[in-house]
Amino acid sequence: MKLLTHNMLTSHVKGVTKGYPLLIKATEVKVNEVDFNPKFVCRMIPKLEWSALVQAADQLGHREDLPGELVPDYEKNEDFLKKVHRVLLEVEVIEGCLQCPESGREFPISRGIPNMLLNEDEA
Amino acid sequence: MFSNIMPEVRSEDSVVRYYCTAGNGMEPFLVDEVKRKLAAQDVYQIPGKVLFSSSATIRRVCDLKAAERLFLLLKQDSPVRLSTHTSPAKAASVLQSRLLGDGCQWISAVRTWSRLQGELAASRNAVTASTTQRDREKGRGCEKQSDEGLKCLQESRKRRHEFTSEESDEKRRRGREEGARLSPDLEKVDDVSEPKKVCADYSKIELEQNLESCRKNTDDLGKDAPLGSVENVSFRINCKCSGKLHRCVSAQEVSRVMGIGLSRLLGWKADLKNPKLEINVYLNDDYCLLGIPLTRLPLANRSYLKTPGLRSTVAWAMASLALIEPGSCVVDPMCGVGTILIEAAKEHKAACFLGVDIDDGQLQKADENVVFAELQSRVHLLKASSTALPLPSASVDAVVCDLPFGRKFSTRINMAENLPVILSEMERFVFFVSKTILVNRKKKKRKKKVFSLFYIL
Repeated sequence: MKLLTHNMLTSHVKGVTKGYPLLIKATEVKVNEVDFNPKFVCRMIPKLEWSALVQAADQLGHREDLPGELVPDYEKNEDFLKKVHRVLLEVEVIEGCLQCPESGREFPISRGIPNMLLNEDEA
Repeated sequence: MFSNIMPEVRSEDSVVRYYCTAGNGMEPFLVDEVKRKLAAQDVYQIPGKVLFSSSATIRRVCDLKAAERLFLLLKQDSPVRLSTHTSPAKAASVLQSRLLGDGCQWISAVRTWSRLQGELAASRNAVTASTTQRDREKGRGCEKQSDEGLKCLQESRKRRHEFTSEESDEKRRRGREEGARLSPDLEKVDDVSEPKKVCADYSKIELEQNLESCRKNTDDLGKDAPLGSVENVSFRINCKCSGKLHRCVSAQEVSRVMGIGLSRLLGWKADLKNPKLEINVYLNDDYCLLGIPLTRLPLANRSYLKTPGLRSTVAWAMASLALIEPGSCVVDPMCGVGTILIEAAKEHKAACFLGVDIDDGQLQKADENVVFAELQSRVHLLKASSTALPLPSASVDAVVCDLPFGRKFSTRINMAENLPVILSEMERFVFFVSKTILVNRKKKKRKKKVFSLFYIL
């Protein structure tokens, strides 16, 4: 699971009102080199919940010097875009779990794919 | 010399008329695509086929996504009409005069065909060389070929092999019957043992020949070219005959008559087993169409798909209906092996895709497909139920989905009951303006699939 996916996910357990962002408990994290596509990163930034991304990167120990606030004029700042690219697309959680911040329900991640399937009584 | 045939320097007079076959209902998508991507002129649509003229490079024409197979148009004409009372001799002469016509047309078509084949081979070489290079850099590929040319050769040999095993079995069978009939009229058909050996080295020879003839053609451009490159052409005719005409004359009869006529007209040689040239003939009540296939494998066989799911052309059409814009986030709540997402991601380079499925096996295959297509950065996968997706409301720009309507794939649960739940779930997280694309597949007689696409706003 890449952090771009994590940024979109929310807990959907019945009764939970604020299931975002999910906490990450990783046991295996991999960094894969991915071709840098500045246009794609630029287009994705407005869609992101910035604080959630910074928090997730922090939890995995891959925040490095990613600023807490989104910098203005990031379109032209290639250095910044590269940092975002790294956190968003290169850092990948292979094994571990995601935890709902409200109910504490854990969703396992195996072989890089998070399992967000709920039991019948939870949906 | 080579720069002459490269795309950018193409002149106006290199407009080529092509036609593509397309799946049922895919013609409008193909018409739209050729106009948009190839700036095609004189686009003409008939059931199952789209005819167009374009000066775009053959590589770009081969990148068409909605087409099944690509042909060079030889001749398009009004339908041939024969009555059941026509004598066989009369029928043969009508067919020959209508279908063969002027020899110049055939010669120029074969010249164009060789030129395009040469360009295709050249671009294929370039692609193979670059992928070999990339593979080497990444240290992938179990066997590293020291010789790039060798690898390319093997690949084309493989292609040839695939083609032979997949397609030509039936044709061969047909061919043999025809061969028996043809041989008295023509020179003797080659010994069976000989072509076998030839087959192995065929691609190499062909490649060289194509390059050779391509060079020759470029050299001769503008001059009155000698007929050297179009003499001794071996050919085979594949004929499809339907409608009223089918009652008067069989496809085999048409092939035979045309074969004899062509050998007489141009001195070409019929070779049913291993021809240089294939000529496809379609005859029905509405038109007669002659063409030469430009690729061995259909364009719809995507090189980047490992495990195919939904027909690639249909997947592409669905993605195109979703009007994906740069920066869009697209979800497939029942992605299966991810065909639609991969087709969409190949087309839209600045959009993000999320595939959701409930089945581990499918997700595993989808993951392999995504890695194979080198789209890991933009296609992400998730295991969840389509009735309860872990996505916030209004977070997604478009949904594309091939819903299981319970016809082809059976499920434990009744799909009809679940559809409203799934649809309302889709509506929840899609932005108001976006569209949900669903495809409904119905199986009809003769195993013909009819795809009807519809929108839900």
